[in-house]
Amino acid sequence: MNCEVCHLKELEVELFQVREVLRCILHTIFFHRALSLVRPKDVDSELFDITYVQSGDAEFEKNLEEKVDHFYSWLEKHPNKKGQVLLSFYEVKNKQASWFTDKVERLYWEQWYINVNVSRPKPRGGQPTPKTSQPQGEAHRVEPGSSIAALESSLREVLFQIVRFVDEKKDHIPPVPNLEGVSFPYEITIPSRSDTSSSFGVDMIKRLLRSGHPSMLS
Amino acid sequence: MAGAESGRTEQIISNFFLKLLQVVLDSRVPHLLAGSRAGGDKSRKRDRWFNLALGDPPAALENLGLWHRSVADPMVVDVLLLRDATDSESVLERWTVHYEPSSSSSSSSHPSTPSSPFRAATAFSSSSAEAAAAFYKRTYKKCVVLLRSVYAVLRLLPAYKAFRMLSAATLNNLHPHHHNQNQNCNFNLSYRVSSFAEPFTRAEEDEMKHYDFAAVETQFGQITVSVVYRHDLSEFNLESSSLFPPRIITDYVCSPAAAGPSRAFPSSLPSNEGFVQPASSPARGILRFGSGHMSRPHSWTSTPMAHHPLSGSQLSASELHASPMGVFGQRIVGGHQQLGSSRKGSTSFNEYPLSPPFSPSPSPSPPTHSGNLHRRLQSETAPVTIPLPVTGSIPVYSRAPNLSDPTRSSLPPPSPRVARADNSSEDSPEIRSFRRVEGFKLSEISPSLPSSLQKGIRDARDDSGRFSGVLSSCGGSPRVGFSRSSSKLSFQDDLDDSCPFAVDDVDVPDTQRRATDGKAASENQLASSSVSSWTSQEAAVGMLVHMLKTAPPLRQDQSYSSRAAGPGHDREGGGGSGGGASSFYAARRAADALEELRSYKEIKDMLLSRSGSHLPGPSRER
Repeated sequence: MNCEVCHLKELEVELFQVREVLRCILHTIFFHRALSLVRPKDVDSELFDITYVQSGDAEFEKNLEEKVDHFYSWLEKHPNKKGQVLLSFYEVKNKQASWFTDKVERLYWEQWYINVNVSRPKPRGGQPTPKTSQPQGEAHRVEPGSSIAALESSLREVLFQIVRFVDEKKDHIPPVPNLEGVSFPYEITIPSRSDTSSSFGVDMIKRLLRSGHPSMLS
Repeated sequence: MAGAESGRTEQIISNFFLKLLQVVLDSRVPHLLAGSRAGGDKSRKRDRWFNLALGDPPAALENLGLWHRSVADPMVVDVLLLRDATDSESVLERWTVHYEPSSSSSSSSHPSTPSSPFRAATAFSSSSAEAAAAFYKRTYKKCVVLLRSVYAVLRLLPAYKAFRMLSAATLNNLHPHHHNQNQNCNFNLSYRVSSFAEPFTRAEEDEMKHYDFAAVETQFGQITVSVVYRHDLSEFNLESSSLFPPRIITDYVCSPAAAGPSRAFPSSLPSNEGFVQPASSPARGILRFGSGHMSRPHSWTSTPMAHHPLSGSQLSASELHASPMGVFGQRIVGGHQQLGSSRKGSTSFNEYPLSPPFSPSPSPSPPTHSGNLHRRLQSETAPVTIPLPVTGSIPVYSRAPNLSDPTRSSLPPPSPRVARADNSSEDSPEIRSFRRVEGFKLSEISPSLPSSLQKGIRDARDDSGRFSGVLSSCGGSPRVGFSRSSSKLSFQDDLDDSCPFAVDDVDVPDTQRRATDGKAASENQLASSSVSSWTSQEAAVGMLVHMLKTAPPLRQDQSYSSRAAGPGHDREGGGGSGGGASSFYAARRAADALEELRSYKEIKDMLLSRSGSHLPGPSRER
């Protein structure tokens, strides 16, 4: 079975927007992958004029919030770094234990890379710089509304990107469990606290070893 | 199609059509949800199809299912925007669902069609039950995913905002007594289901965007879903005007200290001007009239229109304005029979349930914004003991309760109406002075205010007069107490629901007040002739309103009811025969309290006659 990978468009966000952006994206993805019986739940974003859909899976929401908090903490400690959250769906295969692998093997069949670039908040209500005249200083002043509108537009594009990917790739999805509340096993991976980009790569290698076959990059 | 597999495939397709129609209509047409919902086991089973539980479908959907006779017929769902001003309709979205059998030439031309092996395999697996079952399950799974995508896209398209505006207005207009604002939209949303689509004009096509969902292969064909939508709705100027625009109360009176005499009462009360932001004032019950709009300057009132005499006209106007949306019920064109239930949605406009627009079942959660709004506006405050403003006379409020019972210090102050109703010499001087003072304060304000407001103020006084039973009992006459909790709470609820000066719906006290209000009327006339400074009036009104609002609820104590002995008895104690007065705490109206007062008076008389005590005459009836 193929592992379909989707790299979502990178979003330029401010630190305080990270949580809400991740909620929108992760819930939207999970709603399309929680294919057991669900009662959809519309949620209005707190920061954006966007309504996204939750599957109502309490366990997923709890895991999501936990991971989002950890990711937020990581971003605070690593300013000016691009962060990436990985949402993976896998199947569990039993396998004989060996030195390097667990008894349980995970076959990843879909991975979503969510890329955020946390930017520093731009100065508002600008005081004109000494070298610039008053009108230019005002021109450089960034309207907070415009940045949020731009991010909202980008976020909407990302959500449409998710819909398009989900719509186009259906064959790799495992059989749907018929029980209510039972969804595909998933994993949310964030950079570790002491992490650098290289360590993040080590985590990927660990995952590959665990899965038993290399993931196919799109 | 042949065999069981064709039957199952057809079942998937027909249910898919219905499910998609329900998803679209639940997300686009609010008034459809106001109609009856088809319940029962059949609906519950159907709700589980495609693992997407949306709740019972609208009853109209059942008939649509009958209309869709053949799975081969496409289903075109137009979401229509109806503008009140121009009485025109525009297509906001067009959803097209089509099942194309394999024999048609179009089945193999879709660029995003899934891998061909499935299509090629059908030729070999038709005789293989296992392969057919696998194909069937795969088809079902893809339909599940497709419906999820449609559901999510419906919330991302521009028309969803219009739906939310209309839903909010529909909900508020259906429940004006709740703590929401009356809203009025200048548009309506409807739908049209047909088997063919009228082509768009060139101009319309230029304004539309198109999105084709990936086709879902079945064993005998494929299901295609596409949407054409307007990406920009700004040209329609969709508006939802609120009769009660939200405003932040910058000087909310939460304690008597906050409503000092230095706060000025709003001096401008325009009748036909635009809405004016009130100045800081403790008396936020003042209603402002502007362009048919009412203000809600204070936080107590969640539905200030509920009891106001003008509220009826306002509500009726909004309701009448909103009712045309019911005219645009479902329509089916294309030569198909008009369904008998076509007006269900229109006539059941007022049955809109308090539930999410897309799902009436209790499990799904509503959109957070409406819920928050509802919760935010349903604010209540706990009863607080309120001191009276000291106006140079004896601070009656702090003493009046002690006249009868030290334990009843939490009683609200006596009211002028109480004393007037009693009109007895038994009233203590303190009570009389308070009556005089309060009457002066209230009447001073009256002439300066609009008539409706004066009426509201008079009714506020009536409300305070609900406490007359207590005071009269406090006043020394052997009156059995009665529970004021109900009237107090109901009054507080009225305050929560309306301006404190709004008309109360209790008629009895009003009638009785007028019948016995001779002395106080003269006092009011005298008082009204002399107008004190506007500042003190504002403060007094604010204090009074605050007192009335936060006065503790009525409480019926055994100790109080047992005070059935002797004239001038104003302390706790005495007769242990206190018959049936039991402590309870219920919210009732003033009429109920008065009825109870009468009953207790009778009991008291009976007890007195038994005890043989010397009382000053029979109980006074109002």
